[in-house]
Parts: sequence; C-alpha cells; structure tokens
Amino acid sequence: MTSMPHLRDHLPFDHPLSPRDGFPHLPFLARMLVHYRADDLWQEDTRHLPASMAALRRKARVFAERYLIPASADIDLAPHPAIGQCHPKAHEILVEAGRQGWLSYFLPPPLGAMDWGRVSHAPVMQCCLVVEEFTRACGGLMLLLSAHHLGVMPLLLSGSPGVLLKFVRPIYQRCQRGDPHLVAFAITEPGAGSDAEDGHGAARYRPGVVATPVPGGYRLKGRKCFISGGDLAQSITVFAALQGEGMESWTCFYVDAGSPGFSVVRTEQKMGMRASGAAELEFNDVFVPDDRIIGGLRHGWALNRATLNASRMPVASMGVGFARAATEAAIDFARSCTLGGKPLLEYQDVQLHLATMVAETRAIRAMVWQEARHAWRPRQLRASACKFHATDRAQKVCEMAMDLMGDRASLHENRVEKIFRDVRLTRIFEGTNQINRLSLIEDWQGELLSGPSGPFVTGV
Amino acid sequence: MHIDPGDVAVLLEEVDSFAQGRVAAMTSRPEEPIPPEHLERLTAEVLALRILPDASDEDGLGLWEDCDHAHTMAFNIGVLRLLGQANAGVAFAWHRYALARAMERALGMDREEDGILGTTILPVGHYGLGRASLARWLIGRELAAEDSELLADWLDRHANTNILFAPESWRSVLWPVWTEGKVRWERRTRQRIDVLLSKAQHGLDEVSAYRIRAMDSVGNTASVVDAPSSVYARLLKLDMIGLTAIGVGAITKGLGMAREFAAIRKQGGKAIDRHPAVQALLGDAEIARNAGDVILGGYERPVDRIDLGRVVADRAGLFGRLCHAASQIVQAFGGVGYMRDLGAEKILRDMTMLRLQTGGMQDLHSFLAGWSGDWE
Ligand SMILES: Cc1cc2nc3c(=O)[nH]c(=O)nc-3n(C[C@H](O)[C@H](O)[C@H](O)COP(=O)(O)OP(=O)(O)OC[C@H]3O[C@@H](n4cnc5c(N)ncnc54)[C@H](O)[C@@H]3O)c2cc1C
Repeated sequence: MTSMPHLRDHLPFDHPLSPRDGFPHLPFLARMLVHYRADDLWQEDTRHLPASMAALRRKARVFAERYLIPASADIDLAPHPAIGQCHPKAHEILVEAGRQGWLSYFLPPPLGAMDWGRVSHAPVMQCCLVVEEFTRACGGLMLLLSAHHLGVMPLLLSGSPGVLLKFVRPIYQRCQRGDPHLVAFAITEPGAGSDAEDGHGAARYRPGVVATPVPGGYRLKGRKCFISGGDLAQSITVFAALQGEGMESWTCFYVDAGSPGFSVVRTEQKMGMRASGAAELEFNDVFVPDDRIIGGLRHGWALNRATLNASRMPVASMGVGFARAATEAAIDFARSCTLGGKPLLEYQDVQLHLATMVAETRAIRAMVWQEARHAWRPRQLRASACKFHATDRAQKVCEMAMDLMGDRASLHENRVEKIFRDVRLTRIFEGTNQINRLSLIEDWQGELLSGPSGPFVTGV
Repeated sequence: MHIDPGDVAVLLEEVDSFAQGRVAAMTSRPEEPIPPEHLERLTAEVLALRILPDASDEDGLGLWEDCDHAHTMAFNIGVLRLLGQANAGVAFAWHRYALARAMERALGMDREEDGILGTTILPVGHYGLGRASLARWLIGRELAAEDSELLADWLDRHANTNILFAPESWRSVLWPVWTEGKVRWERRTRQRIDVLLSKAQHGLDEVSAYRIRAMDSVGNTASVVDAPSSVYARLLKLDMIGLTAIGVGAITKGLGMAREFAAIRKQGGKAIDRHPAVQALLGDAEIARNAGDVILGGYERPVDRIDLGRVVADRAGLFGRLCHAASQIVQAFGGVGYMRDLGAEKILRDMTMLRLQTGGMQDLHSFLAGWSGDWE
C-alpha cells in the first residue's frame, strides 16, 4: 500500500518499479545524470529562460490573471458595442496596461517601458512571451492590447530617430500615464486582403486607398476594412498607393484619427476575439502632412512586409496561448468530472488524449521560441512557418479539448468554446495560413532554385 | 396515412420549398437567432404540413414516425438534410422533438399536452456514450460490476448534472435512467427538474443550453417505463443518423455559399477558385459532404436492419471531417468568413455542436470495443 497519490493504472512514485523511486538511490554520479526534480512545467520553462525574460513572463502572467481573466467572459458576452464605444472593463484594462508598460514595451526608457535588462533579447521574443500569457487569459483582450503594437510597428521599423521621438515617444508616454493612445495598422482593403500580404497578388492589384499629392502633404481617399482596434485608435498607420501608381508605390502614412474626412463606418460582429473591434475605416480626402510619411515615399510595401515578419511570430504565440488554455481547461475537467465513481483522468483514453494535447502545445511553443529567440531581423520564412503551423495545430488542440469535455465544452462558462472561437481567427488574419505557406516558399525560392540539386543539400 | 415509395421525391421537394421558403427565410440573419415566438410559429406551420408528427395518435408521415422501410428512412433523412441546409439549429430542435414523440410511441407512453415543442429527449447520460458498458448492456452481455457501476452513475439524473439543448418551450424531457440493474425510461416534467439556463452556448443558437438535474431520484413511478435494449439502440441510431443528416445539410449549404463566393472574389489576379489553395479548401468540404451522403445512403433501410456499431463508427469517422469541412469553408471566405452576419462561422459552430451531442466523440472507440468485443 502506498500513501502517495497516484492514478490507478500507474505505479505510485514510491513503488520499487517506479523510476522516481529508483533514481534517488543510484550512485552520486549517476544521480547527477538522471535524477530530476519534477516541477510545474510552466515554472520549469520559465526558470530556464534568462532571468530578465523569466521576470517578464512572470509579470505578464500576473497581469493576465489579475486583470484579463476576470473580465474576459463578461466582455465576450456583452452586446456588440456602438462604434467608438469601449466596454468599461476593457477601458479599465487599457488604462492599467498602459500604466504597467504593456502598451510601450518595445523600447526601453526614456522612450518606452522595456526593462533595460532585456535590451539584449529580441523584442519579438519578448512579445511572444507576453502574447502567450495574455492569450491564455483572454484572446479578445490580448488582441485589444496587441493590435496597438502592430500599429506602432511601422513607426518602430521606419528606422527614423525623428519618428521615434516625434511620434512613438508621445504615444508611449501617454500610455504610461494611464491615458492610452492606441494605434492601429491598416493594410487590408475591401478589394485586397491576401493581395495586401502577398507580393504576387499585390503586383496584380489596383490599389483602393490612394494618396494624392497636395501642397504640404497628401490627401487619402478610399477604405480599409477589418482593422483591429481601428474603432478606438487615436492614430493609424495607413498604407496607400500614390495617385496613378501601383502597389509598388505603397507608402505608410501616419494618420491622426481626428483628421477631417476620417471616419469609422462599421465595426464587425465577429465569431470571437470580441473584446477587440474590427473596423471599416473611410478616408474621405484625409489630409496627411509630409512629416507623417513613415519610412519614405514608396517604401510602404517593404515596411508592411517587415511589420508582418515581426508580427507573425507573436501570432504564432497566440496559438500557443490558446492551445495551453484549452489544455489547462481539459485537464481541470478531467480531474473534476467523474464517471462511474472515478475521475475521467483515471481513464486511459483520456490520458492519451491529454498527453497528445500537452505535447502539441509544447511542440508549437518550442518552435516559436526557437525562432523568436534569434529574431532580431525576423526572416519571412521562419515567421510564416511559425504562424501557420502553430495556429493550425492550436485549433486542433482546442478541438481535442472540446471532444474531451463533450457537451459541456459547448457552455460558455466552461471557456473552451470561446477559446475555439478565438483561435479560429489566428488562421485567417496576418495573412491566411494559405498565404503564409506561400510566403514561406516565396522567401525560400532562392535556395530552392539556385542551390545545388540532389538530396541532402537543401537545409531544412 | 402512409408514404408510398414513389411519393418520397415529391414530398421532399415540398419539404425543400418549405425549408428554403420559410425556414431559411425566417432565419436569414445568422447573427440574430430566431426569437422563440417565431420558432413556435414556424413549428406550427411544419406541424400543419405534417412534416413533424402532430398531436394525433395516428401513425403519420411525420419525421421519425415510420422508420421501418427503406423509403420512409430516405424520407426522414431527406427531411433533416434539407432542414439542416436551411438552418441547423431549427432542424436540431425539430429532430429532437420528433425523436421524443417516436420514443413515446415506442414505449407506449400516453401523449402529454405540453404545447408546441414541449417534449424533448436527452438520449444519453451525463458524460459520453456510456463507454463499453452501455454497448455491452445493449447487446445483452452479462455486465461486470464495474459496468453496472458506470451505467448507474452515467444515468443517475439526480446525482449528476446533465446538459440539455432544447427550445425555450420545453416542458418535459424523456431520458433513460438506471433502475433495478437496467435501463428504463422516464418522462419528467420541468417542474420536477432543477433547471439552470446557461448564459450562452457555442452554437445552435436557435435552442438554449440547460444544466438540468432531477430534483429527486427516480423511483418506480408510473412515468418510468421498461423497454428492451433494442428500443434504446434504435433511439441512438435514429439520433445519430439525424445529427448526420443535419450536419451534411449544413455543409451542403456552406459549400454552396463558399463556391459562389470563390467564383467572384478576386485575389492574386484571378478568381480565388482558380488557386489550388482554395480548391483544396473547397475540395475538403466536398469530399466530406460526399462521404456524408454515402453514409446517409447506407441508412436508407429499415432502422432495425442497421447496425448501431456501424452508425457509431460512421459518426466517429465522419464528424471530424464535417467539422474540418466547415472550418475550411470559413477559411475560403478569408476575413469575412469570421463575421457573424455572413453565416459561415455559424455553420462551423453548429457543426461543432452536432459533434458534441449524444455523448460526443471521446468514448466512441470504447463503445465500439464493447459492441464488437467478445470479452467477458
Ligand atoms: C478579425 C480580423 C482582424 C483583422 N485585423 C486586421 C488589421 O488590424 N489590419 C489589417 O490591415 N487587416 C486586418 N485583418 C485582415 C486580414 O489580414 C485579412 O482578412 C486576411 O489577410 C485575408 O484577407 P481577406 O479577408 O481579404 O481574404 P481573401 O484574400 O479574399 O482570401 C479568401 C481566400 O482565398 C485565399 N487566397 C487569396 N489569395 C490567394 C492566392 N493568391 N493564392 C492562394 N490562395 C489565395 C485565401 O487563403 C482565403 O482562403 C483582419 C481580419 C480579421 C478577420
């Protein structure tokens, strides 16, 4: 008889045949090689990170658990808000997130809130850690907070100290004061979703949002759609073609949402991620002064693609966060729901199911971390591979969680159905997963075509 | 009144025009579920058309009233497929109502006047499909102590919370219970059940989700009825066949929508249906729909000649594919597929709900092991 808690069809740790019983009794050197401390997986993974990154991960989790989880269900269930309205709880979260630096952590002080101890780590990796924690708590609130970084990204990547000082600093400072200034990123047009993400399509697309030169700047005309956070943003990085030119003339304009001629014409009722608005924006001869051209005329396409390369790994992390949340919910269910007098966790098929979910989740996290850690200059191939693979697999894990929970999975209060609705988006935005697959190949074609032929030569 | 084999096609044409003309029309805004009073009105119409079994005790041609001929099964399946194509939630509500009626008849229960869609059915216990234990009971094997223990718990309506998906108007539920070492049947009125309305559920927005628990344990009340295990097996078959028909109908609708969209939406310099990536999405949906139709075709025979094990295996194999198909349909639409007013995302949610019904997917393999295994 054992006093240790154990599952019926597995040996307790103090059984003579349990390796956990055997390892501590091996000779010292052998113990050094094989005897491990089994800890909570999240804690263990966090400990293995560099100290400053571990601190970031812990801090993000604390914030997510304290602020996002309690508000998540209510905001998801709330009626669709009128244009420009923000759920009061979401507003509180934005304010608090701003104060704590979650809206300004891509730069260190005095511009932003990134801890100086982390400047030697790729910002994309930092973002991945944060996004996973926020996503696990609430997909919609995560997107509300993350779309802002996407909006700011072209400003950061412009490489212009002037842009950082003139535009990014005030945004970040307001956020840190608790008066959030949100920025949205606008590339998608009614006629161009994939064509705004994929060069082959863009080359054939006649631009919908056009910038006409006028004294002192440009006037923007046209519509952007599905813009995350576009309903609440005070400013937007808008990509537009120059009058009479094609997509190669795309230029990034930093548009003030208070400008005459700008309006939010519609917000979408979405399947999930409901805490974040997706807006259709109209530009009716919106004047944008020359000094709000970001990255230079006709550099917009490159800036767009660079932004996507930076943001697709964090999107992959959304997948990790959802898979993790679904797995955690399934574990909790398997422990608490009983059938025939024993918890579901006691059933072998349930154990197989959970083991697969945990492994899937950890596999996609390993992939994202592996790529993001070195993503100082994120490569398209790597970013796209992470994005489509992690999000595809994450949906699978969510489906597994639903299967395990059966009809209870469909109740809102059990969280998994929301996670499923939320995760579904990650396979569509930031380029559909089909476009991301093509994007991987686009970036790889050099090696594929010009490298030596024959097996065993192309690095994978 | 009976259906002749030659009438089925004509009758299904009528059902089709009702499904499209009334059901689809009244639920044309996918982001706004049909209000309960409209569902009742629509139900009154479908009852008047006798597509659903009406209040009389006569044998009729309504859904699930005759399951003993190939052509009547073709009619039942055809009805639910067409209704599923119009609106899966409405189809589901009517399927479960008709099934409850069919079960009451099979059990020889008196009909209760409980209003429109007042009767519903909960065909399974509180989690899963009773694993191998239920299968063993159904095929008449002697049960081991752990089988009995599992079934007693699975069907303990007082100790466990059960999830019921039904229209707001339900007044009584018919469910299997476990007494005296066997499955028996109880019809319980809503007054004798603790009912908690869930705030929201994933899909099938036309019905609501209730957490329900019997207020007291099942005694030997008059409302508890004995029936041979074949009656239960028959119910499970009909329920799963119905869910499949609704699902295949919903995918048919989604596939049609996606094809139309893909033919006119241009990206990459051409209509997107020219891109192999999109062809793969639509192809997956078509393959799943066709597989569903083949499976449904196999059920067009007297229900007692259909093997429950086969229906369960079909369900285990097909529903993953149907859900995948629904997800691929959303994907073919791109961003707009994610929006509630289009309807594609609703098909995905509804399909997921259908997958989670009747015990869901988790223990189907275990059920099959009990059904076909000959261990003692
Ligand atoms: C909730 C939400 C939030 C969003 N947030 C933002 C945002 O903040 N900013 C922003 O600018 N955009 C945003 N988007 C837009 C998003 O990036 C696009 O929806 C996405 O890129 C797909 O474009 P689309 O919707 O036009 O679909 P389409 O491009 O029309 O795609 C339809 C289908 O065709 C396929 N397809 C298209 N072209 C090709 C091709 N060349 N080869 C093969 N297959 C192809 C696609 O894979 C897809 O399956 C958001 C979208 C949603 C739904």
